[in-house]
Amino acid sequence: MSTVIAAIDSSLAARPVLAMARTVAPLFGAGIVAVHVVEDPDGPSPAGREHTAQAEADDAGIALRWLRGDAVRELSAAVADDEVVALVIGAHRHAVGGRAGHLPLALASCTDKPVIVVHPTATPPEQLRRVLVAIEGRPGRGKELKRAVELIEATGLEIVVVHVDDEASIPSFSDQVQHETEAYAAEFFGRFLPGLSHARLELRIGDAVEQILTACDETEAELLAVGWPQTEAGGRGRVAHALLDRCTIPVLLVATA
Amino acid sequence: MPSDPSPLGAAGLDRRFEAVVLFTDQAGTPDLVQALQDLLAAEVHVVVITAEPVAAVVDGLSIPPGATSMAFVAGRHGGEIAVVGGRDPQGAPAGADGGAVERLRAAAAATVEELAGQGVRARSSSPSSYERDVVIEVVPPTGPDGVPSADIGELVAYGRATSASVLHGAATRAALAAGIEDPRVWTDDGRVEIATVDERDALRLALSALWRHGVSTSGVLVVADEAGIGPRGCALTTVADTLEATVLCATGHALHTHPGTLPLPGGHAAVLDVLRGQGRHRRERSLPAVAPEPGWGLHLDGVEGERERVDESLVVLADGEVGTSGAPVVADESARPWTIVAGVYELDGPETHLLEGPVPSRIGGRLERAGFRRTLDLHSGTLGEVAPTDEGRITAVRFSSLARPGTVVERIACPSALDPIDPLRPPEGGLLDEGSHGGVAWMRVAASQGGIAAASVAGRDHPGASVYERVTAFAGDALQVPDAPVARALDARETGFDRLLGEHRAEWAQRWLDADIAIEGDERLQAAVRFSLFHLMSSVRDHGEAAVGARGLTGPGYRGHVFWDADTFVLPFLAATHPASARAMLEYRIRRLPVAAANARAMGRRGARFPWESARRGIDVTPTTARDRAGRLVPIRTGQLEDHIVADVAWASSCYEEWTGDDDYRRGDGLRVVVETARYWASRIRTEADGSAHIYGVIGPDEYHEPVDDNTYTNVMARWNLRQAAAAVERLDDPGIPAEERERWLALADALVDGYDSDTGIYEQCARFFSLEPVLIAEVAPRRPIAADYLLGPERVRQAQIIKQPDVLMLHHLVPDEVVRGTLEPNLRYYEPRTAHGSSLSPAVYAALFARARDFDRALDALRIASRIDLDDLTGTTASGLHLATMGGLWQALAMGFAGLRPRAGRLRVDPLLPKAWSALEVRVRFHGSRVCVRRDRTQMTITAQRPVDVVVDDRTYSVDGRGLVFVRRYDTWRLTP
Repeated sequence: MSTVIAAIDSSLAARPVLAMARTVAPLFGAGIVAVHVVEDPDGPSPAGREHTAQAEADDAGIALRWLRGDAVRELSAAVADDEVVALVIGAHRHAVGGRAGHLPLALASCTDKPVIVVHPTATPPEQLRRVLVAIEGRPGRGKELKRAVELIEATGLEIVVVHVDDEASIPSFSDQVQHETEAYAAEFFGRFLPGLSHARLELRIGDAVEQILTACDETEAELLAVGWPQTEAGGRGRVAHALLDRCTIPVLLVATA
Repeated sequence: MPSDPSPLGAAGLDRRFEAVVLFTDQAGTPDLVQALQDLLAAEVHVVVITAEPVAAVVDGLSIPPGATSMAFVAGRHGGEIAVVGGRDPQGAPAGADGGAVERLRAAAAATVEELAGQGVRARSSSPSSYERDVVIEVVPPTGPDGVPSADIGELVAYGRATSASVLHGAATRAALAAGIEDPRVWTDDGRVEIATVDERDALRLALSALWRHGVSTSGVLVVADEAGIGPRGCALTTVADTLEATVLCATGHALHTHPGTLPLPGGHAAVLDVLRGQGRHRRERSLPAVAPEPGWGLHLDGVEGERERVDESLVVLADGEVGTSGAPVVADESARPWTIVAGVYELDGPETHLLEGPVPSRIGGRLERAGFRRTLDLHSGTLGEVAPTDEGRITAVRFSSLARPGTVVERIACPSALDPIDPLRPPEGGLLDEGSHGGVAWMRVAASQGGIAAASVAGRDHPGASVYERVTAFAGDALQVPDAPVARALDARETGFDRLLGEHRAEWAQRWLDADIAIEGDERLQAAVRFSLFHLMSSVRDHGEAAVGARGLTGPGYRGHVFWDADTFVLPFLAATHPASARAMLEYRIRRLPVAAANARAMGRRGARFPWESARRGIDVTPTTARDRAGRLVPIRTGQLEDHIVADVAWASSCYEEWTGDDDYRRGDGLRVVVETARYWASRIRTEADGSAHIYGVIGPDEYHEPVDDNTYTNVMARWNLRQAAAAVERLDDPGIPAEERERWLALADALVDGYDSDTGIYEQCARFFSLEPVLIAEVAPRRPIAADYLLGPERVRQAQIIKQPDVLMLHHLVPDEVVRGTLEPNLRYYEPRTAHGSSLSPAVYAALFARARDFDRALDALRIASRIDLDDLTGTTASGLHLATMGGLWQALAMGFAGLRPRAGRLRVDPLLPKAWSALEVRVRFHGSRVCVRRDRTQMTITAQRPVDVVVDDRTYSVDGRGLVFVRRYDTWRLTP
């Protein structure tokens, strides 16, 4: 049977992660398995943490599976199972660096399966209705998200695509805005996301992170899909990383490498 | 398998040709005459070049009734031409200019004189009736009684004089002395012929005549039999023009021929076989090769998902009536086939858009994308496709008939298993009904009013035949059962593919004779220019009314709405090359004058107020809000405030009058247009207490600033409009317009402010423009062109001296007589660095202006951007159609900018400029009903006219006709050569 893994720890993030897993699992026709990785079984264990994870899983009525070892390695191995169709995980703000996302990004770098990252303060809806697919820079990057978009479309969710131009990709010409945007949008879908029906294009110009976050609010999206190049070398993946840090709705990382 | 014995087959050239040029001196042979006659009946053009009496050969041939084939016979030695069926081959070999007869006479006299000096008597004939040759015959010495002389000295002199070398030398010297630059001299048994032309010229004439019928040289098969070659070998292949042709030359002379010439063994019988082989190709429905001449084609290789829809726009086929996308003949998931019909819209108001009609169904099979090739022949308006599929290689040729607008013709070589089940496919969700009638499948798509009907006849000669043919006729506003397209489809089928192709190609060729622009020295620009002219010509019908949307018939973009693009950018090209289309565009405006008048009344004005965007009815259909590329919901106020379109329509009307001299129009509808638009301005202008007149609250061409007061473009165009109306009324003495009204127009025109600063020579674009933030976009933008409102935000741009496109400078381009002389340069210097070129209209206009300012480097930079906007998809929206106004602007940059063509008061001003990068520029136009060609090269300018017209060169008027005028540059002026 298909499975969605909900990777939880004993933090406050466990609850929204489990909630999101319950929201997305029906879309995949999958069941849910909660997983908790104990990274250092020999080290001192903060009192009650494992107990908290178990309690959250119990409250959600989801079986909890315990793994021991390196979190990236163990979760990667779990996700690699053929029956696993998606991973839902907390944003995991790093205690030292202060930025969220190191663990989910590391996991998303090891798998092509959807990785959904849930902010600790998120309150996932019981049912998803609208997904915002973010494309920044060259519009051609849209095709990198094609597989994910097809996956989302297959679930019947409403898709809004936001494309954020930066200075380099600002159009050379804009004749009559009342027609230009329409023509551009039609061609955008025809060119980069062919076959996608019933999607809407939101266009923005400026700082990609700010514009995408604003678009999340304005479109009332419940899930944000964003490309992840599976590496941060050369400054790549900056936008995805920043979004994990700041986005309060769940983020679907889509491998684009 | 037996090997193919024919030389064409052996060379892999056993294919269909469009014309045969036959060099023969056996043209009267019955079996040859029959073979040629059969070719003419099969729509193959025939040219015979012979030493036989031309008239006799012509008498043996005839053009079958209704055939589009052309035949003419040319003399091998002297340029005699006779046309079968009396059709003019529209050309004559060189050497028939006005002084040819005198030069030939002088050469003959000098030859006779030189021979006399050698003691030999000779006599010359008068130049032939074709004025291109003269014959000198040496008279054998005789005694007083007429008996041949027995005088040894006389006989020796005669023998010496009649030797070929002596006669040839004497005649050549005499001809050169007489001023014949390249004399053609033949000697034969005491006879010498001096001519200004020979068989090479005859061949050039043949190729030229065929070109004028739409046949490119690669479609010509030249066949020379042994007699036709003559004693000097197959010299015809030294004609550079034949390099693209296929040449068969009788064996025995092959060594004298061009390396590309194929030997033709087998004598007369072999010639007959070759000719009959062409007849066989026609019977077997072979596909014509789509192989454009250099500079006349667009080749697109492969199908690539991201680019495909752009490519389909680039090779759209249209005929003024219907436009069909260039989607592959074989179905592919990236393709988006569509059909639109001129002027057929769905819905009303801002949502009005072009209705999509039925589409010819695609052929089956799975396309192997990488090997796919599309070739658009711009000269003949045909699209060729080679499509490898899992079922084998499919080839196809299609065209949208310019001779029968609204008719799409296809011939496809493919296995019958791939035939579409139904010839037509309805657009998504649009089918009204369908049926069949007499073997014709028809389909209708309904709009809120009217609709589109299509009727298609498709099939094969017999089951298993290798070729599938389909003719589809479209009609707009189909409220009735589609009898008309059904009848047209049946008629087209009866006519047959080859005849349809012949008439279509000939129509295109004629269009090009009036419109081509040749740029020598820049092949890339040349191809781009012809690409633009092709789509301009094919997007506008030439009868009734023509609603020309921003993308013409090349796509559904901009919903087919009609803007000032049509009047200001597209119409001038057509007024100057195909006036009937320009007239149809004006008719669209004229029929909507009542709506424009009602619009003016609704706004509390008089006269006619044309809408910024219009469609079927002529009401304003401009949307009032839109999301921009930054996601902002922005109000669209162009519909309310972009008033200058009123004067733009009047300017277009005047432009048509100037190019055509159409006096009936000037006195009738032209007068209505200029008067009603002037009345609008008279009611729109406000006069202040100080007597100054103003137009408040408008948007000019620079749409970054809105609303503004006293936009200089709007004010000066309104002023021009008022003065034009007053002059028209005065000239025509129209009793319906009171003198007081005319005087008021003139007073308002004089009082209108125009922002001119005589100290700087600069016009202020609008009130308070100079007080805006002085930003040079050229210095702050990372690149140009750039949409500055997206780069800096609309508010910032609105507060700065950053403009979208030429505004003041449009006046220097459109109405140079309305601005102060000598102000082009200072305004160019001021405004260009402030221009973002965020409008696709901008580069072409700047190219024209920089050319006039002799700043060729910047002119060429701008010209190249304008020429690539669609070819390189610089806007990202080419997939929705081509930027027709930019294409019109490109023509203006070349014709008005570089060539300096301006019609004015019945005369055509000519002032061509040539940048160093080009070796020559040639522009063809129609002026006052006459075909005019202006050619400028490094040393001279040549002007020719089909019928006498007046041209103005350096402020002097000359009458020019078919003999042409040649000017040379002396210092800064043109001098007419004798």
